[in-house]
Amino acid sequence: MMEKLEYLVNGAKYDAACTSSGADRKAEPGGIGSAVSGGCCHSFAADGRCISLLKVLMTNACIYDCAYCVNRRSNDIPRVTFTPEELAELTIQFYRRNYIEGLFLSSGVLRSPDYTMERMIRVVELLRVQYRFQGYIHAKTIPGASPELVWQLGVLADRLSVNIEFPSEQSLRQLAPDKTRQAILAPMGQMHQWMQGNRQALEIQAPAHRLPAARRAAPRFATAGQATQMIIGATPESDYQILRLAQGLYHKYELKRVFYSAYIPVLEHSLLPALDTKPPLLREHRLYQADFLLRQYHFAAEELLAPEAPNFNPYLDPKCNWALLHPEFFPIDVQRAGKETLLRVPGIGSRSATRIVAERRSVKLDFAALKRMGVVLKRAQYFILAADHPRGLHLPGETVARALIDPKIFAFGMEQLSLFSPGGLGLPGAGDVKNLREATEEAVLVMGRSAYA
Amino acid sequence: MREPVPRDVVYQYDGSLEGFYCCLFESLRRGELPAALEDAADAQPRLFAPVWIETDPAHALRVQRSIGEKIAPRALHLTETVFLSCLEEKELHLLHFLLRGWREGAGFLRRGWSDPQLALLLKAERHLAHEAHLLTGFVRFSDYDGHLAATITPKNFVLPFLAPHFAARYRGEHFMIFDKTHRAALIHQPGGSRIVAAEHIEFPAVSAEEARYRALWKHFYDTVAIEGRENPRCRMTHMAKRYWENMTELQPEKAPLPMIESGAEPAIL
Repeated sequence: MMEKLEYLVNGAKYDAACTSSGADRKAEPGGIGSAVSGGCCHSFAADGRCISLLKVLMTNACIYDCAYCVNRRSNDIPRVTFTPEELAELTIQFYRRNYIEGLFLSSGVLRSPDYTMERMIRVVELLRVQYRFQGYIHAKTIPGASPELVWQLGVLADRLSVNIEFPSEQSLRQLAPDKTRQAILAPMGQMHQWMQGNRQALEIQAPAHRLPAARRAAPRFATAGQATQMIIGATPESDYQILRLAQGLYHKYELKRVFYSAYIPVLEHSLLPALDTKPPLLREHRLYQADFLLRQYHFAAEELLAPEAPNFNPYLDPKCNWALLHPEFFPIDVQRAGKETLLRVPGIGSRSATRIVAERRSVKLDFAALKRMGVVLKRAQYFILAADHPRGLHLPGETVARALIDPKIFAFGMEQLSLFSPGGLGLPGAGDVKNLREATEEAVLVMGRSAYA
Repeated sequence: MREPVPRDVVYQYDGSLEGFYCCLFESLRRGELPAALEDAADAQPRLFAPVWIETDPAHALRVQRSIGEKIAPRALHLTETVFLSCLEEKELHLLHFLLRGWREGAGFLRRGWSDPQLALLLKAERHLAHEAHLLTGFVRFSDYDGHLAATITPKNFVLPFLAPHFAARYRGEHFMIFDKTHRAALIHQPGGSRIVAAEHIEFPAVSAEEARYRALWKHFYDTVAIEGRENPRCRMTHMAKRYWENMTELQPEKAPLPMIESGAEPAIL
């Protein structure tokens, strides 16, 4: 069992998604488990990532031969498979001890997509029906599986996802020759339709929660929505292309989350980066920041990047970068500005924006009050008008740029900076930069050259 | 309301919420503002003997009602949450807060975080809520012959906030969460839960099956981290080291969880 678990965790761990959010459910009499809409982290692994779900493969056997994947057919590794009973029991035993919030079930393709899906459904069915498990279940659908099986899985699970794998069709064709873009997007569209069906069903029979479980008529499909993930850094797409794709997926399929996974070379392949390539962690970090701006801060991909400047500035987070490029938008009067406007200010997040709007009717906000409310003045001070700074700070752009340099970049290590494509900003390479002060000066210089300041 | 006059006296009470309300009652009745309020359980040696405030449930109820009705339900909620927090001199801060509430009415609550005095209490409240939220994930149960038991060492008294979460999740189980810091335990049986005082709790020996699931979980934990992406600082930010002592996956290899305490075996095990 120990060995089996090891192989099947190793095969699943490169999947970035581990969130348990979007479902809200109390335990039923005789059952075990509940789900909280905000999700819950149960531990944090040595790589700093949240562990919320038991993330495993049902099997690491696979009929496909995707170049980037450890489980590909042509890779010479031992193949193991959980029986549905084994995996359901392990999930329950982990769950009882509060190790996990639920199960994240993915799988290699055993025999055929449909056969694999049937076995996955069996696991989830055991949990939901036999154990009356009310905890969180996130399942990966298998590309190419028949829609009836996707439906069955979705009715049992909270969240479904199908990985888009790579940011472009060309890359997908090269690296995952057995999967087609159509086989990925078609189920995504189908699942989206079914999820819209939930909403209608809910309107008809609301308030559903008043009915006993057995009488809740129509089954609801994956109520915590769907997510996807793509690997970045293995293929040549720009940040602009990736972010536009994510934005399209959010709009078209109303995905709950798009995950980005910095490519870690696990296999030698002529079409992939060499084995000693460092994963582009800083780039991944910037993508998550920008993704957050799309989902929570009403930014559009086209505001953050453009075809002429298609990649993120490694030195600045995307919001600071946007603010420096749009001096005409500032300064913002915190006493008057709407919430959406406040959210555009570097150093003001959704929590502090909400507090500002709620409390400013009773007080004149000065810097000290803003600080207590959670505003990061280190960044915000250059962009706002407050009671004790009615005319703003008016500092030269260069000074502001220097103050906004993201100190986190140095935690990622200098070599990360060199992973950004050259040519864009003309950034210094890893060997050129030695310490924080030097890097800061270099960054300001570079930004000055590209008319940032 | 007569404004209490600052006096160099220390009130000592039994550490209960009711006892604290009685301190407020006495302070208002005597028209004096004590220099400190202290729980008898962690009394400091002092030059002058502190004034002992007897807990009278009727007085406590009058104060509690007055907070809810004369100030605002939110003021009562904030008071009772902060009282369970680990804020230094929380009693004195709450005393000043409530006097202001009675003086100014509910309006000043709207100042929220922009007000320094309120911000202090809101911060303590959030610190408690955050710790309770983290612990809903970090609590680790062990199975002792069908009964689940866990130990926590939180800074704030979070058991009342953990109770509804775990009671709903494990409604059909028998479980116990022992708060070693505050010497109390949440005990749940199908049908209901309660919080009781508990000095020590001795846990039985770990069964082979329990040891097996611990080992499987630890192995899962070690395997799921991606080599090449180690980030100890990030892990520490999300999961402070003080939580590790009670977490199965962070115990050194083969050492049993440091849960064994001396004392009587509690009824539920």
